[in-house]
Amino acid sequence: MNGLHYNFDWSIAFRRPYSDWLLTGIKITLLLMVATSILSLCLGTLLAVMRQTRIRLLRWPAGACVEIVRNIPGLFWLLFFYFVFPGMLPLSWGERLNACVYYPVVASIIALTVNNSAYVSDIVRAGLLAVPAGQREAAMSTGLSRYQQYLYVLLPQAVRIMLPPLGTRMIHNFKNTSLCMAISAPELTWATQQIESLTFRGLEVTALATGFYCAVALALGSFVKLFEKRWQARIGNEAPWTNRLYAIPD
Amino acid sequence: MPFLTEQLGNWRFYLTGSHPAGPVGGLAANVLVAVICLSLGLVAGGILGLGRLSRWSCLRWPCAVWVEVIRAIPALLLVFWCSLFLPSMFGKNLPLFWGAILGLSVHAAAYQAEIVRAGILAVPLGQIDAALASGLTRSQAARLVVLPQAFRMMLPAFASFAISLFKDTSIVYVIGVVDLVQTGVIVSQRQPNRMMAAYICMAVGFFAVCRSMASVARTLEKRLGNAAALTVSSGRA
Repeated sequence: MNGLHYNFDWSIAFRRPYSDWLLTGIKITLLLMVATSILSLCLGTLLAVMRQTRIRLLRWPAGACVEIVRNIPGLFWLLFFYFVFPGMLPLSWGERLNACVYYPVVASIIALTVNNSAYVSDIVRAGLLAVPAGQREAAMSTGLSRYQQYLYVLLPQAVRIMLPPLGTRMIHNFKNTSLCMAISAPELTWATQQIESLTFRGLEVTALATGFYCAVALALGSFVKLFEKRWQARIGNEAPWTNRLYAIPD
Repeated sequence: MPFLTEQLGNWRFYLTGSHPAGPVGGLAANVLVAVICLSLGLVAGGILGLGRLSRWSCLRWPCAVWVEVIRAIPALLLVFWCSLFLPSMFGKNLPLFWGAILGLSVHAAAYQAEIVRAGILAVPLGQIDAALASGLTRSQAARLVVLPQAFRMMLPAFASFAISLFKDTSIVYVIGVVDLVQTGVIVSQRQPNRMMAAYICMAVGFFAVCRSMASVARTLEKRLGNAAALTVSSGRA
């Protein structure tokens, strides 16, 4: 065949049980993405607010956690929560976790959430810091409580600043779900590798998987861009500082 | 104390793998992969980034499509393609280590192309107009006026990408290269009593390198940031 040393057989992707594995893989990948995005958004915001408080007992540990997680690769956290974490629990709990069929998926969700929250918290913190101090002072002088200041004044403005980097982060997180194959969570990349090791026809299914990741990431990316453009247009002159986008490192 | 020396008995393995006897591994492999990929990615990314800003659409479009598509693919899959599937497709035999480097370089090139492009676009148009008005040719303007300023603006983004790429080198573990993660996993499997120590060593290894990279970057940024601020203000005056 014209220079290629490989005969393609695309039917592999549509034959049982491989087609089922791929479909389950897509489902698990999407589940991981949605679950970790939502959870890390909550945990990340919590960490960001903790890092902003005056209470040192909250600020210091939150800052340390973020710093530690940010400087260690996501793959480490996956392996850690899969192999080490059950051993750190009381014996019966650890055994129950290790015996659980779903533990790879659960560990993936925990690890990706932990990893992503650190970055999310940085983005949220930068967003909160970018809201001018006058806004908080004004909120305070109208008699809002600290909680109300955050809820009605600071966070809504910070959200507009945070949105583009948050979108990028979530796409990054989506791509990171492919790492979960290292702990045999049955997501898409794992399915392709499983098919490769059983049939030696990994090339075709990996091509399909690559197409899937690419399509979803590009779609999410254009969605974020559209949203950003609309929001920027709507707020216009109302809050000029929100146009100042902060480059948040990944 | 004897406990610690027993637990960390194979510290050399974490740092350099089985180096004198075998290939470079451990943390040294991560550093090596990161350095090679960053340099290859810088060259390829520079070309791609400039290509995206080219006047000719036949150059601009392919570069843009390539960069956007590669950025949308997980680095792990790029590594799989470059180390396993493309070589088998063309009947070639590529050592895993170099396949991993190729995959991560493709990944790095796409990201660095975006950094280069953003840096160049951040140079105020007036600078280019002024350069052209003073009689410089287009290539002289690019070389003497635009690129030096753009480079300064790119530096922080480069630094944070370098750190991110260093962390991404851990995925070579998945295809079986003996990097720091792999050494830790090997130790924890062969000597389960050292599992905790192995994972702590992994974490400390990555943390130490990333933190020192970050602090170097911060110092550089501060120094060059001041310089950049100065040139901008003197340019305005």
